[in-house]
Amino acid sequence: MKTLIAQAAEPSLWSPEWLPLLPKRLVENLLEHFNAPGWLVSIGGIAAGAATVLAVFMTAFALLSLIERKTLARAQNRIGPNRAGPFGILQPVADGIKMLTKEDIVPAKAEKLLHLLAPILIVIPAIMALGVLPYGREWTPVPLELGLLFFFALGALTEVSVFIAGWASGSKFPMLGAMRAISQMVSYELPLVLSAIAVIMVSGTLSLPEIVAHQGGYHLGFLPAWHILTPWGLVGGLVFFIASIGEANRCPFDLPEGESEIVAGHMTEYSGFKYALFFMGEYLGLFAISGLGVTLFLGGWQAPFPGLGFVPSWIWFFAKLAAVIFLFLWIRATFPRLRMDQLMRFGWLALIPMSLLTIPAAGIWTLLHRAGHGLIAWVVTIALLVVPFVIMTVLFNRGLARSNRTYRFAES
Amino acid sequence: MTALLILSPLIMLAALGAVWKARPVHAGLLLALTLSLAGMLYIALGAEFLGLVQFMVYVGAVAVLIVFALLITRPRDEIEEIARRPKSVGPGLLCTLPLLATLLYTVDRTLPEAPPGTADLPVRRIGELLFTTHAPAVLAVAILLTAVMLGAALFAREPSKKP
Amino acid sequence: MKPPTQNGPKPKSAKPGKWVVPGLGLLQGLAVTGKNMLQSFYKKERMTTVPYPEQRAPISPNYRNIPFLCYDDDPEAGLRCTACKICEKSCPPECIYIVMDRDENGKALKRPKVFDIDASVCMGCGLCAEVCPFDSIYMDGQFELATDDRFEGLQLHLHDLAKSAEYHLQLRPKEASEVLARRKADAEKKAAKAAAKAKADAEKKAKAEAEQTAKTEDPPKEEGGSE
Repeated sequence: MKTLIAQAAEPSLWSPEWLPLLPKRLVENLLEHFNAPGWLVSIGGIAAGAATVLAVFMTAFALLSLIERKTLARAQNRIGPNRAGPFGILQPVADGIKMLTKEDIVPAKAEKLLHLLAPILIVIPAIMALGVLPYGREWTPVPLELGLLFFFALGALTEVSVFIAGWASGSKFPMLGAMRAISQMVSYELPLVLSAIAVIMVSGTLSLPEIVAHQGGYHLGFLPAWHILTPWGLVGGLVFFIASIGEANRCPFDLPEGESEIVAGHMTEYSGFKYALFFMGEYLGLFAISGLGVTLFLGGWQAPFPGLGFVPSWIWFFAKLAAVIFLFLWIRATFPRLRMDQLMRFGWLALIPMSLLTIPAAGIWTLLHRAGHGLIAWVVTIALLVVPFVIMTVLFNRGLARSNRTYRFAES
Repeated sequence: MTALLILSPLIMLAALGAVWKARPVHAGLLLALTLSLAGMLYIALGAEFLGLVQFMVYVGAVAVLIVFALLITRPRDEIEEIARRPKSVGPGLLCTLPLLATLLYTVDRTLPEAPPGTADLPVRRIGELLFTTHAPAVLAVAILLTAVMLGAALFAREPSKKP
Repeated sequence: MKPPTQNGPKPKSAKPGKWVVPGLGLLQGLAVTGKNMLQSFYKKERMTTVPYPEQRAPISPNYRNIPFLCYDDDPEAGLRCTACKICEKSCPPECIYIVMDRDENGKALKRPKVFDIDASVCMGCGLCAEVCPFDSIYMDGQFELATDDRFEGLQLHLHDLAKSAEYHLQLRPKEASEVLARRKADAEKKAAKAAAKAKADAEKKAKAEAEQTAKTEDPPKEEGGSE
């Protein structure tokens, strides 16, 4: 794996920039102090680094489960959980205790081994994906050279484990949920990857830290050079965001677990801690994919304004992550769930064409910028993206005008 | 080398299981396992790009689609399948053993030493090779896949009800 | 296929000349929820939630639940109920059980010895309160009847049911004040009548006494024939 891992920079102790790496370095120093062999030192350091990431995101997961309910409550003019501790801050603890002490039920018709394996398999890729994200200038837990590819490869594992969960339960709602989940994930992974390809083309690398580094600096002295602030990046970022809602099974694309139709989809037959694992996997997956979005389009740990260098870079990353996740919550509070055919139509007829358009736009952008025609690049890429959008709008309106709404299965 | 020694028996076992399991879905999942183990082997041998692409394409798309298709199709009667099995072992071995022998022979004979400098091929180099030297092949495959996709879309399209 | 019937307003796109820009409606929706989210922090009228055990929403005077028995001054002696059992007979689910109190001679004392209402059976129809001629039984506003004993705990006895007239006044001021005024008027009328009667009796008595004094040989009569 030597070629996979880029060289990490040398540490300088106790500075805020290096704060997240403190546990790792403390463990390493401790082991070195006791003259431990080199392999033990590196393993200890890796374990401590992984534990840091895990601790951060487990806390974030616990907080998010509360904040989500609070936000949804506010959107509906309710108060939300406020009983466990001040402002309900201990609600996640109460939830956790409830989940842990619940009975673990395995259906008689379930495939025992696979039924047990599925929740584990769903958490592992989510945690692994969190490992490759660059959280700060100095803080990338595992700086893979192929980080982006690694991330998408892990998405494949999620699909398989959702399928296993649905099938191994030996019941029809999980099966239906798994079928929905797979068709949705396969369809929405396409725009996700395609919009990421534009970023790869422009930054010329698959390494996530390098992609962030490529977004450093400012246009005109104040406008950050994030990809979202370019024409192709705006479209690509939007497509990426929408597709990531689909990948994370979040509302309004949460058909796989549509409560009103199929109970809880692939999680129907799970109870107790296994259910909690699914929940955890879903939220960690949400963090991972939002983190990837922040890395690819929102400039990762880059500060939004010049002259903010004194703030540790990882704070910017987490601020952006929080903003993106709030957007997820906001969308969940607003939109109703789509129907399956609407979901597929939207994915294949709107998202994929737009994401395909970002690729030539990114190519032209890069070429023109290399040739030194920055202004022309702006004009051409905007034209390249706006004209198809206008055409799509026209077609959409024509389709609306022509389609007399018919309900095939609901006519009486 | 240790990775090869550990992973290759596992791959073999998973592949055998994929062939041997009576339930189609089990076989499909074992196939996914085989493919992902192969991906791990690639990574362990230093071909990270290939390994990750293997994961993404074969495990994420192909295996999942196979399993998905198995779900939609009507499952065959498994008992019948198990009863039929002893009869099919002989012909199966008859077909595969010569192939295996040929493979072993050729691989042993003709596997060239890796030319120096290709051991760790950076991704950038792979990309450049794909889009310069091997561009015609890539284009051909792309056209083929597009045609396949269009064909599938045509097949999947509902026949329009309007006359 | 016949054209489907559309209930709500027609989609905007159906109007000719109006263009739908994809995504604009979504933004409008986001604005609505965003406004809700923001204003719920500073606009009082948005947050209508009452944190119940600590704060309570006022109960409407029209709210009614299990009946209660009204008493005037003393929960035992002041009970208006006369154990006439009209409510027991009128109760559709038969959840009222009344035993009249009797003295040692077996004479009815016109007050209940047992008055039970089975809260698990009572359907809150209010017929008992409707038929009561003695202004005794009224529907309560009490709703926290939960108990950990679903048999005995839901059996309301006389001491659970007896509540003061002030409570009634608090619960349903209009109804209770009318009842009280009427009762007061009745009591006054009754007192006046009684006074008149007593006066008449006294006059009669005086007359009789006068007669008695006139006919000294007559046998002694019963004293004070009050009613």
